[in-house]
Amino acid sequence: MLKTGLEIENHIRRLRFEHGEMTQDDLAKRAGVTRHTIMALEAGKYFPSLLLAFRIARVFGQPLEHVFEHHCGELK
Amino acid sequence: MSDSEKWAWWTGGVVVLTISAYGGFLAFVGHGPASFSVFALLALTAIPASSRRYFRGRTFDERERGIAERALRAGFSAFWLAFIALILAIGLIKGWDATLTVPVWALTETLLWAATLILAVEALTTLLLYRGGPRA
Repeated sequence: MLKTGLEIENHIRRLRFEHGEMTQDDLAKRAGVTRHTIMALEAGKYFPSLLLAFRIARVFGQPLEHVFEHHCGELK
Repeated sequence: MSDSEKWAWWTGGVVVLTISAYGGFLAFVGHGPASFSVFALLALTAIPASSRRYFRGRTFDERERGIAERALRAGFSAFWLAFIALILAIGLIKGWDATLTVPVWALTETLLWAATLILAVEALTTLLLYRGGPRA
């Protein structure tokens, strides 16, 4: 059986500050989620759906891969 | 704290109150039709869904929906396990050919315990998932 070390990082916190210190609440409203979900995303406690990832990237006016990074670990 | 967590704390509190009241009734009135009247307290779980905030509408996003679905599934899984355990226990203890005569209050009480179990597991799972790691 193949096992992969899967890791998704995001730069939401940095991008918020680069966009006029946008608050979590602002981002949440514009992405159509609750502030708790933004908090969970920034803390790495939640991986968003592809749709939400695109919505967040659109809020920042960035391509998806500039907001979310996928690190694929070694195959074991 | 999100609305779902508030719901979970409220529901957990109602379940604890119901079980405590049941224990109190058992101590003073004994086991019987009167003791299961405490399950009326479970009606308090309907209060969050009847609030103005609930009817005004709120954002229920994909993460919250996912947690709610998993919590509900956990509640019904617990019910299913308890149901199978009860069936096996009755069969093994009383014998598979035995005839049982059960008063209506006992049957009703069993169903109310099942509802209590589902609510308790759902509330607890909700709280655990909100504190969980990736994919919670």
